[in-house]
Amino acid sequence: MIKEILPTLFRADFLFSILRITAPILFATLAALIAQKAGVTNIGLEGIMMISALFGTLSAYWAQSWFVGVLCALFIGILIALMMAFFSLNLKTNIILTGIAVNMLGAGGTVFLLYLFTGMRGNTASLSSPNILIPTVNIPLLKSIPFIGQILSGHAVLTYIAFFLVYMTWVLLYKTPLGLNIRAVGEDPNAAQSVGVSVNKIKYIALALSGALSGLGGAFMSMYYSQSWNANMVAGRGFIALTAEAMGRGEPVGAMWSSLLFGLAQALRTKVSGIQGVSSYLVSSIPYVVTILGLFIYAASTYRRVKKKKVEKEKEKITK
Amino acid sequence: MKNKRLWMFEIFRGFAAILVSLAVAAVFIFITSDKPWEALRYLLISPLVSFRTGSSSFNLTSFYTILAAMIPTIFTGLGVCVMFSANEFNLGGEGGVMLGGFVGTLSGIYFVTGTGFDAVLAVLIAGLVCGIVMLVPALGKVKLGASEMVSSLMLNYVILFVILHFLSSIFADRSKGSLMTYPVSPTSKIPDLVSGNSHLTWGFVIALVFTVLVTLFMFRTKWGYQIRMIGINKDFAKYSGMKVGAIVVLSQVIGGILSGFGGAIEVLGRFTTFSWLDLPGYGWEGITIAILAKNNPAFVPLAAFFIAYLNKGCQLMSTYCDVPSEMIDIIQAVIFLFFAAEHFLAKYRQKLVVKTTVEELKNLSAKEKGGAKA
Repeated sequence: MIKEILPTLFRADFLFSILRITAPILFATLAALIAQKAGVTNIGLEGIMMISALFGTLSAYWAQSWFVGVLCALFIGILIALMMAFFSLNLKTNIILTGIAVNMLGAGGTVFLLYLFTGMRGNTASLSSPNILIPTVNIPLLKSIPFIGQILSGHAVLTYIAFFLVYMTWVLLYKTPLGLNIRAVGEDPNAAQSVGVSVNKIKYIALALSGALSGLGGAFMSMYYSQSWNANMVAGRGFIALTAEAMGRGEPVGAMWSSLLFGLAQALRTKVSGIQGVSSYLVSSIPYVVTILGLFIYAASTYRRVKKKKVEKEKEKITK
Repeated sequence: MKNKRLWMFEIFRGFAAILVSLAVAAVFIFITSDKPWEALRYLLISPLVSFRTGSSSFNLTSFYTILAAMIPTIFTGLGVCVMFSANEFNLGGEGGVMLGGFVGTLSGIYFVTGTGFDAVLAVLIAGLVCGIVMLVPALGKVKLGASEMVSSLMLNYVILFVILHFLSSIFADRSKGSLMTYPVSPTSKIPDLVSGNSHLTWGFVIALVFTVLVTLFMFRTKWGYQIRMIGINKDFAKYSGMKVGAIVVLSQVIGGILSGFGGAIEVLGRFTTFSWLDLPGYGWEGITIAILAKNNPAFVPLAAFFIAYLNKGCQLMSTYCDVPSEMIDIIQAVIFLFFAAEHFLAKYRQKLVVKTTVEELKNLSAKEKGGAKA
């Protein structure tokens, strides 16, 4: 089995597929990251992606324009994130419960809303038309480079945007006053408050940004990745993103690498499931097993480092 | 007196949250449906009252069906109560129910002694296995500091796919059209409590017994006290000498065992084979129920009844009217948001507190005056 897979792993189309599969996870991971930097664990990513994926497809169909669809998905993502912010910050609903509620809306509420708007049940396969799919771009010079061109060129617009947003997130967090405020609020809200930063306002902004990013991720899922919206299409990517964020140590570039790792796991899953004699069910569990392992390995490494530091500090105290 | 007033306020606020969610549901019904009043009647009244031309009567069968639907969710609700009380957001109830159902069925097929205890044995084994599986997120949290929420969520998917793998490759009954196990032995079935087709089994009684047991555990034992203290203030619990790690693990293992019981009892009571091909959803319902019960196990059956009632209403509404049954998810989400909102109606609460305090002060000063005269 390994002999069959191994040569295909270094082919351009496999590496291309990793980038394609990584993009939605990357959007969600960046969304998790910005919220986490402001001290908010946004577990509603999954639900936001489902809902904005639905409204992205629907509005793209109504306007017959993919661009309108993406904008609408972005807008809906922000809207839901602001609703989460209102409930968790103003009405003091536990943020985790708020997230679970949004995920419920994403799981069953979307099926209901789809029926409400179109009378369709469970998927939008009948709405498919080429105008409502996010177009792919061939990058002029890059395209003609053999191998590398095949991997890097010809992706959807949003795939490039996803990787560009890694840089933008870094700029936002480390080069702008807003980023400084977000980090300050996440690090110590009381200290931030004492120097006149409005903690709630910053958390609102961070959650809105988080919603916008996951909205884009949702649009990518329904308008490019699976070409239409269907129930349960996000399949845990919002939760995988939470792990990817933690494994990336809360840094944009680290988040990108861990997203790529999970993208690789998903791509392997598609690759292996094509081979005969391999249980498709066990293969389906690969991304989730990798997530648990990744979470544990990452946690173990930080845990040890923290422990070491503590021991060293105590030693210093004793020697003093 | 102060406490009583605030307690009344809590109840009032709970009802207000439920009313808001039903109002949201009504808005959606009026948008979706051509005959909204009929849809509303199906949602709110029909689960218990059947209408025939001219007269209406209490529908006993439907009542039993609702009670039967509570069996698995009482168990998951209790499990979530225990875990959330310790502030452990373990969301693995979903996988626990699935695994419990699967293990219980296997035990019911292959470990058959022929005595009356086969069902008990199957349920116990299922609970044990689920308790052991919950050690993964629990130990991950305690030993490594990994978020139990993410690992338990991922575990749900892993459990689902691993079960489907074993079901399709080893345990499937090939003579059937769809994927399912062989039927369990008749001695492993959980017997019906009432005759008829309601599937109300002795599992319901067991669920109520466990409600009492878990309530006693949480409020009358050392471990229950420690679980609640850790939920309120982990650091304080640690400094006062509690073994926080062990208790955190204990809470999640108990949660796992309870969801395993729920899954096994549900499958062995309602079905004769294991045929779930997707996560059954009882774990999420358990979370809603725990929120409604404010993490107090004693209120779990009441909350479970409410959710089962709404579920039945949504089913009826989607069968007889043009409103899809997924409506229940919207209602649940709104209940979630408002019920758990600590500051929902906070201004009113503030007024109440002020009013009560002013009255108390008046009483006090009146007493003092009286004392001075005497």
